[in-house]
Amino acid sequence: MSSDCIEVRRLHRFFGKTKAVNDISFSVARGHVFGYIGPNGAGKTTSMRILATLDLPSYGDAFVDGFSVVNDPELVRRQLGFMPDSFGTYRDVNCSEYLDFFARAYGLVGRERNQRLKWVLDFTGTNGMAGKPVRGLSKGMKQRLCLGRALIHDPAVMILDEPAAGLDPRARIDLRKMIRELADRGKTILISSHILTELAEMCDSVGIIEQGQLLATGSVEQIQRERAKHRELVVRLLDRLADAAAELSAHDSVGKLDVDGNRLRFEFEGDDEAQSELVAWMVGKGYRVAEVISHKKSLEDVFMQVTEGLVQ
Amino acid sequence: MSDAVTLSSEIDRWERIDRWFEKMGDRFNPILVKETRQALKSRQFVVTFSILLFAAFAWTVAGSLSMMPQIYTTPSAPRLLIGYYFVLAIPMLLVVPLAAYRSLEGEIDDGTLELLSITALSPWQIVLGKLASATLQMMLYFVALFPCVAYAYNLRGVDLPTVLLMIGILLVTALVLTVIALFLAPLSRGRTGRIVTLLLLILVLVLAEYGIGALVISMILYGTMMSVSLLFFLVATAIVVSLSLSHLLLSATAAQLTPESENRSTTLRLSMMVFSASLAGIVVYATQALNRSDTNGVLWFAFIAAFGLWLAAGSMMAAESSVITPRIRRELPQSFLARMMLTWFTPGPATGIVFASVNLVVWAGFAALVLGSIFNWQSPASSAGFREPLRMLVLLVAYAIGGLICVRLVILVVRINNHPRVEIGLAALVAVMVLSALVPYSIGMHLNDYRNFPYSRWQLTNWVWTINEAQNGIAVGWIEVIMILSVVGLAFLICLLTMPQVVMPRRTATPEEVIEALRQK
Repeated sequence: MSSDCIEVRRLHRFFGKTKAVNDISFSVARGHVFGYIGPNGAGKTTSMRILATLDLPSYGDAFVDGFSVVNDPELVRRQLGFMPDSFGTYRDVNCSEYLDFFARAYGLVGRERNQRLKWVLDFTGTNGMAGKPVRGLSKGMKQRLCLGRALIHDPAVMILDEPAAGLDPRARIDLRKMIRELADRGKTILISSHILTELAEMCDSVGIIEQGQLLATGSVEQIQRERAKHRELVVRLLDRLADAAAELSAHDSVGKLDVDGNRLRFEFEGDDEAQSELVAWMVGKGYRVAEVISHKKSLEDVFMQVTEGLVQ
Repeated sequence: MSDAVTLSSEIDRWERIDRWFEKMGDRFNPILVKETRQALKSRQFVVTFSILLFAAFAWTVAGSLSMMPQIYTTPSAPRLLIGYYFVLAIPMLLVVPLAAYRSLEGEIDDGTLELLSITALSPWQIVLGKLASATLQMMLYFVALFPCVAYAYNLRGVDLPTVLLMIGILLVTALVLTVIALFLAPLSRGRTGRIVTLLLLILVLVLAEYGIGALVISMILYGTMMSVSLLFFLVATAIVVSLSLSHLLLSATAAQLTPESENRSTTLRLSMMVFSASLAGIVVYATQALNRSDTNGVLWFAFIAAFGLWLAAGSMMAAESSVITPRIRRELPQSFLARMMLTWFTPGPATGIVFASVNLVVWAGFAALVLGSIFNWQSPASSAGFREPLRMLVLLVAYAIGGLICVRLVILVVRINNHPRVEIGLAALVAVMVLSALVPYSIGMHLNDYRNFPYSRWQLTNWVWTINEAQNGIAVGWIEVIMILSVVGLAFLICLLTMPQVVMPRRTATPEEVIEALRQK
């Protein structure tokens, strides 16, 4: 069996003339967390819904644990826990009954159901809320409960659409820990979010999508390396600042340069190797380099660089 | 020591009973379990149940006191029973169907239907769970009022069969209305459509409340004034129509809840056949149990119902998507014989048109046979009376098939840039019917300086005028009927020949890993 638990092949989804998803392909290895990043209306939810077998692609296919979402949706559903961007709760039902209902709906019976229910309540920290009505829960607790619902049948793959939206910092940190723990337990997770700093911390790889097209994919470092050719370098010299500034300004890879006390702050275009060559060149010229600081671009910077903020 | 042993065995016994109940609970539909928990805790149920109990108690006291002291000497059941009927009918015919509608609509609004559709629950289980929960609520209302009905029966004046018939009518009507409510709930996803379906449901419920109320009151006051054979026929017809119509509506509801990637058509087609066969069965029963005139009435009623069903369903089947996923194809019959015989259950517009057309022709043939037996066609005296309705039958079916072919062509054009829902087929049928009558008539009016003009063969597509003329058999005779039949037959053949790849089923192998995964399931 392939090591990829999620595989998306040339996925297209058109609504009339709108190309919500336009030729997207990527894969996620088993036990990895894949972050799906994009502005509103980029096509994240549409492609996630196709993966969750709630929509059909106009062209292309997606596979979950080797099963096609088009041809074998019922087999895909067994492997899948889906958490949409809405809560999907019921009136006049408490947390325990809510989870019990979904456990029954997934075909869990008897002792197995009770064990899963207990595990999910423990894992999501909703044990103390078991008897409370779902509609009265806070947003954070509802989100935990919905994560529990998606986990109740112990799926191999989880698709989480904006799970951190509207949560306070503590709830977000708790959610991040839970997702990381699930990945450590071997679950493959596809998660979309607007909070990029968090995605950068919890994801093994990310995909940046805009206007239905995947613009970049890979690990966060890889994308940063590939996309962040521009970086800001700060070089602290012990003397001859003016000479160094003049020579650096003439260098091809150096952009705008400022002198800040005994530091030179300038834009540098090049990768790590080019950066080390520049430092070696400066040392070779006899400059006494005391410190070099490289400010790499964050995922947010990369996201802003890659996307254009276009909405369909 | 012995006390401790006794206590321990007592606990064991309770635990065993608890486990047994839990085991039994696992066998129930999860929707039923959830809905029952929800319903019994809901404010709507508590309020309705309390009002029912209070109203029943109030009517018992007020009704009894108002009939004092004659209540001891004269039969007083009818008056009390009418009051109890209304106390029970309002929750059963209004509250429960509306609650079922709201429940299914709520699943769509709150996004829980999507969550359910990716569980192991099938759309049928969801719909049946909702129906079972509504039935349970009805039973609770009924059981609460049962002592009052028994009390009223003891006051004499209404016989047991009438009381049972009243209860039966109420239960069957409440179930059918709940099924209609469930059918209407997912029909429209837009706000305007929702308002229309809700208003439509309220109209149906109010009319049913009024109609059934009038029927039950007349039954209680005057008894059933009809022959036993007619009564049996009506009861049997009501049961058969309720069952087959409910199955059809539940199939349609389940189809609406089924994701696009699944086969939504085959079960619905089977259900339509069952409904159609039920109507035919009622006609056959009528030929045995009723007189000639009543049988003729039943035949035309059944024919119009079946004709309307197949025409409307045919237009929607003609608007089905012709794309069939390999998975649906895999589920289709695999053997040569089964593929040959069951082709018309394959989803798709081409098979849909053929399926509807065959059923229309079969119904016309069946109606002709029954008419033949009614009019005794071998007798020259009555053969003229037989030929006229036969011509009408042939014309109706020919126009219907022609209309379906036009709908198919319209949908082919619409589908170039759109992804129409099947309901668009029904709208296309209405448009085709209106235009086919209006256009030749308008041209005729224009050519005759907007004065009345006589019927001519140029008006053959004007089905309204042609059928009207066929009734008197002067302007439209068998020659015109054969002309229409030939054109429709030719169009039907061309339609079939241009789509052999979608009409003929193909065998599709199931991948081995899928077979393995399904086996593990």
